Amino acid sequence: MKRPASEEGYELTLGEPEGPAAQVAPEAVPATPGEWVRKNLFSSFWSGMLTVVTALLAAWILAKAIGFVFVDADWSVLKANLRVYMVGRFPLEEMWRVWTDVYVIALLAGLSRGVQPAMPWTLRRVVRWALILGVAVAVLLYLVESSRVLIMLAAAVALMVAGAAIGRRLGRVLRKPLIFAWILAFPFVVILLRGFGGVKPENWGGFLLNVIVAVVAIFVSFPIGLLLALGRRSTLPVVRTFSVGFIEFIRGVPLVTLLIFGVFAFELLLPPGLRLPNIVLAMIMFVVFSSAYVAEIVRGGLQGVPEGQYEASRALGLRYPRMMRSIVLPQALRNTIPSMISHFISLFKDTSLLVGVGLFSDLLSNAGRATRDLAFVGLEAEALLPAAFMFWAVAYAMARWSQRVEKRVGVGER
Amino acid sequence: MEVVATPPRTPLWRNVRFRRVLGQVLFMVLVLFLVREVSFNLQFNTAARRQGLGFGFLDSQAGFAISDTPIEYSSTNPVSRAFQVGFWNTIRVAGLGIVLTTILGLLLGIARLSPNWLVRKLSQGYVDLIRNTPVAVQVVFWWSAIFLALPRIQESVSIFDVAYVSNRSTVLPWFRLEEGGGIWMLSLAAGLLGAALLWRWRSHVNERTGEPHHRVLWSTSALLAVAALGFFVSGTPMEADVPDLLGRNYLGGVRLSSEFAALLIALVIYTAAFIAEIVRGSIQAISRGQHEAAEALGLRRGQQLRFVILPQALRIAIPAINSQYLNLMKNSSLGVLIGFYELTRVSKSIITGRGNNLQVLLMTMGVYLAISLTISLFMNLINRAVTTRGVR
Repeated sequence: MKRPASEEGYELTLGEPEGPAAQVAPEAVPATPGEWVRKNLFSSFWSGMLTVVTALLAAWILAKAIGFVFVDADWSVLKANLRVYMVGRFPLEEMWRVWTDVYVIALLAGLSRGVQPAMPWTLRRVVRWALILGVAVAVLLYLVESSRVLIMLAAAVALMVAGAAIGRRLGRVLRKPLIFAWILAFPFVVILLRGFGGVKPENWGGFLLNVIVAVVAIFVSFPIGLLLALGRRSTLPVVRTFSVGFIEFIRGVPLVTLLIFGVFAFELLLPPGLRLPNIVLAMIMFVVFSSAYVAEIVRGGLQGVPEGQYEASRALGLRYPRMMRSIVLPQALRNTIPSMISHFISLFKDTSLLVGVGLFSDLLSNAGRATRDLAFVGLEAEALLPAAFMFWAVAYAMARWSQRVEKRVGVGER
Repeated sequence: MEVVATPPRTPLWRNVRFRRVLGQVLFMVLVLFLVREVSFNLQFNTAARRQGLGFGFLDSQAGFAISDTPIEYSSTNPVSRAFQVGFWNTIRVAGLGIVLTTILGLLLGIARLSPNWLVRKLSQGYVDLIRNTPVAVQVVFWWSAIFLALPRIQESVSIFDVAYVSNRSTVLPWFRLEEGGGIWMLSLAAGLLGAALLWRWRSHVNERTGEPHHRVLWSTSALLAVAALGFFVSGTPMEADVPDLLGRNYLGGVRLSSEFAALLIALVIYTAAFIAEIVRGSIQAISRGQHEAAEALGLRRGQQLRFVILPQALRIAIPAINSQYLNLMKNSSLGVLIGFYELTRVSKSIITGRGNNLQVLLMTMGVYLAISLTISLFMNLINRAVTTRGVR
């Protein structure tokens, strides 16, 4: 039997173990920089042309961006409005509530990070983190004039590092308690702002408002979405029709329109005399919106549970609630974790749509209003880019984190 | 052991069928109770605010001006006319946006898989940057930081004297049908039909005899021949319509308002990042074995993509792309942020000071729902065509 030439080489290495290892795995040979460039940038004439053109384009964009950030831009609008961007009209004397929230989240985040298996400090990672921290410190020192705020921020970072250290020391023991701590932390964070003589939701603003709306929406919508998903898969026609109708209606309508409906028309459907602040009405709409999407995610998870699991639990004589609670949902929900995180990311981005109603002081609304001040006319780009960057940074960090979670959970591997 | 011949009758409350019916009846009662409460609240609330629940307001005067109207409109027109303007503006942005975002997304998705390192990394950078920034921020940015910062109309930027850009609008050269245009259009239609027939005939010949089909050559040359013939017979039926700047107005060409352009660009750029990811993901989802088998058959790289990889990748991609199209259509409601009068902006204007909030908003949502369903239906048809092709 004749074999193709390429396979003969393979056989040769099997026969002679002392043969060069390169023949087994040719890709493993580290290429010299010259070879790498030739292979990845100039493999053919057209590839080379493409490289030159895109390199010129990239260089031009980069030069423009650097020139804008360091030379052309007038960041006075950001410096003057920093507080408005972060918390809106939140009263100064109540700011301790916000800081306490930040500390709670920082500590929990540190602990959670510490509990996870540590990643090795490769050169790449060290450089990346040094860059991120360096830029962050430089930007904060440039923008923040109050040394008190800087100290508070440093304390938050210290708390996070300490949390990570504690988490590492205690290890797996902390895992279960941490999950409960997170679940309790979110209501705590919101209640601390509002409760105990706190600040009315009407006065929440800026980035704080965006974060709170996203957190409230995801938390409240989760149980509703779960019920809707079960309803959609129910064998009772009435329940199923209702769930399908609700989910499809909400998913077919833009969120901006829902928000406008919530603020301008929803009150007509509520009991007379019940007057809710506009921001609460908007939050209700976020919950309604999110629950339809959560329902679809959970449905996807439920469909991933093999039919045999249902049959087995019925064979064991389990009733529906017990079957769902102990057999089906634990498997289904585990598979939904990555989609849940990406839903949360897009929900967080969608909180910028509050600006569509025109009555709130969320981050984007405040950034838009910043240039109405006569001192800052014409600085639209300088006013909007920081807002865009804040959303981007949080969303990007969460997306990176979700990729790691996805690998760890190993969807579809068990 | 004694075998029970007749099992004891199941009590009614443990009968599965009874319980199913009972559950649904209870659910219905709950829903009906809620509906009753809500309708009671609604009647009370609207009466207290002296608002009606009818749709008579649709015939009353709209009373607000719209700057960018695809159909004729003035502020003295009835509300229903304003609503139609909003509908057509939504369709205009969504339709054009879907076409453009598909092209850009496809290019970016292919670039993500390019063997060229720089192209791959730049495309990834684009996706990471655009996807993680809220679309609302992007729309506002394009509008207020880019389009409003352009020079005023008197100082329009001229692009080679054929297109003009100012903060109010952008004008591009277009075509204008002259006398005899109708005849030429007819001949074009005939040419298209002929080209399609030729295509089928050549495919048929190729399948039966194995002769090379040269379908593209045959049909395009036929189409071009008919088009050219029609062009001369009807006597130059079409001319380039190059815009001109006259004082504070543009003359000729096709005019895009800055609101429309900002919304369209932002939506296209945003959605393309998602489509690029779908394209990349669905091509990567095709197993290596398919690549290798295609290679082993001796297909060239282009043929491998066209006959083996893309037909399979499309099946994975279409449902995901459908939901991106729906997102783009729904995100056109962001026109409300920059004063582009699509459906949501129009309904916001209608309810201002009129007090028919509920009817107007329900109507708007209904229209969005109908557009969503139409797009889904269309995409399902395409999906069916793609998935059944090649399955014999």
